[in-house]
Amino acid sequence: MMAAPPSRRSRRPRLRRLHLPAMLLVLGPGLVSGFADNDAAGITTYSLAGAQYGYGFMWALLVTMIALLFTQEVGARLGLATGEGLSGVIRERFGVRWTALAVLVTLVANLGTTIAEFAGIAASLELLFRMPPQVSSILAGMFVVIVLARGSFGKVQYAFLAIGGAVSAAYAISAILAGPDWEHAAVALVKPELSPTAAYLITLVGVVGTTITPWGQAFIQSYVADKGLGPRDLVGTRVDVTLGSLVTNVVAGFIVVACAATIWTHGGQIVDAADAARALGPLAGSAATVLFSVGLLAASLLGLGVVPLSSAYFACEAFGWERGLHWRWSQAPVFYGLLAFFVAGGALFVVIPGLPLIQVMFLSAVLDGLLLPIILSFVMLLAGDRKLLGELASGRTLLVIGWGITALVSIMSVAFVVAQVFGLGS
Amino acid sequence: MPYLSEIQRSKVVDPAGAEIGRLVDIAVVPKEQFPAVQWAILRAKDGERIVRWADLERSDREYRLRETAVPPAPGELPPEAMRLGRDLLDKQIVDTHGAKVVRVNDLQLDDKGGQLRLVGADVGLRGLLRRVGGEGAAERMASVVGRKLPRGIIPWHLVEPLEATQQNVRLTLPHAKLALLHPADIADIVEEMTTDERRAVFDQLDVETAAETLEEIEPEMQAAIVGDLDEERAADILEEMDPDEAVDLLQDLPEEKRDELVELMEEEEGADVEELLAYPEDSAGGIMTTDFLALARDLTAGQAIEKLRELKPDPALVYYLYVIDSEGRLEGNISLRDLVVAAPETPLTQIMNPNVLKVDAATNKEDVASLIAKYDLLALPVVDARRRLIGSVTVDDVVDLMLPRGWKKRSGRSSAR
Repeated sequence: MMAAPPSRRSRRPRLRRLHLPAMLLVLGPGLVSGFADNDAAGITTYSLAGAQYGYGFMWALLVTMIALLFTQEVGARLGLATGEGLSGVIRERFGVRWTALAVLVTLVANLGTTIAEFAGIAASLELLFRMPPQVSSILAGMFVVIVLARGSFGKVQYAFLAIGGAVSAAYAISAILAGPDWEHAAVALVKPELSPTAAYLITLVGVVGTTITPWGQAFIQSYVADKGLGPRDLVGTRVDVTLGSLVTNVVAGFIVVACAATIWTHGGQIVDAADAARALGPLAGSAATVLFSVGLLAASLLGLGVVPLSSAYFACEAFGWERGLHWRWSQAPVFYGLLAFFVAGGALFVVIPGLPLIQVMFLSAVLDGLLLPIILSFVMLLAGDRKLLGELASGRTLLVIGWGITALVSIMSVAFVVAQVFGLGS
Repeated sequence: MPYLSEIQRSKVVDPAGAEIGRLVDIAVVPKEQFPAVQWAILRAKDGERIVRWADLERSDREYRLRETAVPPAPGELPPEAMRLGRDLLDKQIVDTHGAKVVRVNDLQLDDKGGQLRLVGADVGLRGLLRRVGGEGAAERMASVVGRKLPRGIIPWHLVEPLEATQQNVRLTLPHAKLALLHPADIADIVEEMTTDERRAVFDQLDVETAAETLEEIEPEMQAAIVGDLDEERAADILEEMDPDEAVDLLQDLPEEKRDELVELMEEEEGADVEELLAYPEDSAGGIMTTDFLALARDLTAGQAIEKLRELKPDPALVYYLYVIDSEGRLEGNISLRDLVVAAPETPLTQIMNPNVLKVDAATNKEDVASLIAKYDLLALPVVDARRRLIGSVTVDDVVDLMLPRGWKKRSGRSSAR
């Protein structure tokens, strides 16, 4: 029985939801991942690199950008083809034991990253309000628990993203106002200024480790899979991860240039967060500290909303346990247990009195860099698997590039460990 | 009861006792309730060999080929065969009892009357520990504190495998067990599947179940699923859906795709959907359904009941019966109860409630929800500027607005039909 027709389309304007072209619809995961990449550890590591070595790491940023583009693209393709997260695919392909290794490595790296996010919050609140880390880390822990429990991270993350974007722009403007040696910076992009010291090597590991992260690799794949995207979304997803990788490293480049032009040229050093804030001086003057703190805070909170959650997901997906915030505590005990462990562990670590916060953030990046080869090896082994990925499997060229990247990162990590063990070049 | 992980890698010897290779996998044809193991796959020095399970006998920790056996030969299993190690172990399956997707840690076998059968999927912690060789140690540790390690075994007849049995053969087993679940449970499971598996499920479910399932799926994924389906099939499913749900879904699709699908739908359903597409998504018009029961005002109660018998409307449509005049204007409503208890010759206008609460199509959907909540309504009629009845918002359309996000998923149990 039909209703009388409504007053058709005559006068009423068609007020439908704004429909973006199909390609824009899949934009997102790569960009979110790109922004979240410049978290507490990222900002700190890039700042240290610029302050200590001037433009000496510009080449590394260019190389890691290309590497990040490849690894994120492979991760996205794994998600598109399998509809599963990285740990699930590792489990199906390599069995229980290898999965246990991958989960362990990822959890260790991510715990380091979580600690770094708490350290970032502590450092920024100390600068802003002189709040002791013991107080701020507990507050931050509670804040994260409340936001996640209320399920409002989805909305809150846009605020963090917006602040992150604004601070990224601030770095760009500050870098320009500081009047850097652009020629030097440009040449350094393609002409590596290497320095054969252990300190240079550790910074290199940090720069690579904070750009291409184990959690970022898991995140992009899960995000693509959870959105229900499939092989036909390949083009849009590629555009997305390309933009994400560009954003990550262009911002990183501006941070390095700003620090080089403000701190390195004057022979300065970064010991605490206040020093790092000086890079924003040319734009903000005396307000640089506030701007830096707010940016660091937003970046850290964004990271904190993503990293513990994606870690718990990673472990639970591998072993088939209930996961996700829609479950009750009793239904998904392992998931919530891990989440609690990460938040509590990170917060309690930062409570340790006299912790050098900048060093903690930097070292978490180094830890990421050291563990990265293991995760990348898994990813590359999966990427060439035609049975698993079908049409989306990497071709010969992509595989060669991917394994090349993995080999380079491995050599770097091994060299670092060797240098540490034998005390070379220090 | 042996487990797959316990017999994998066993030595296989010939009747004389010389090693032929190692047992790497066993295979079944997943047709019976507890399928019998029919083949063993051996790894010899020069590749894989297949042997009939009946040709092996167990002796101690190894398997011995019978004298009468057909010698192991390289070859292919029939396409309907399922290899337990390759196709099930570490893969995701559907636990149709708990209505959730779980991962297989081990497979439980049972040897009865000389016939080894697949009886269950181990999805518990024990299975995991057994795989890494730590079950014994963990058991001893647990017994020290006076506890037992819990078992997590799903009987095989409640298991629905997700993966294709062979990589290049499309899912041969119809998702028969899956189809028995409530659509809301199927939806939860489908959300955890890969794109290919999802498409396979939606190709196989009957159109009605497919439509009900699709309605329960997260909006973001709905569009992705419909986008993957064959267009004819997608249009068939959309026709079966409530028009308002179909419209919500269509609104998430790109313009051309949407027009194409509406074009393919049956004329009547297509027209309904097109009408609804004209309203903003967050208004009463955007969430209402055009499926409702309107009775002409000059009918008597008896005629109205006769009409209902003829139409056999869905239960959700008879919450309220609307009375309209010849112009389609809403005059009042009648509950089914009042209609049934009235004498057959009573005119509808005498038993209807003329002061019926109604909203304009442009009303915000949150306002609609609060009206429905405040007056405990099951449905709220929607009218146009000339008071003509154009649709009805039922309580199930707004219940999602009233619940905190994620609540729908909280109920862990399945309700099998």
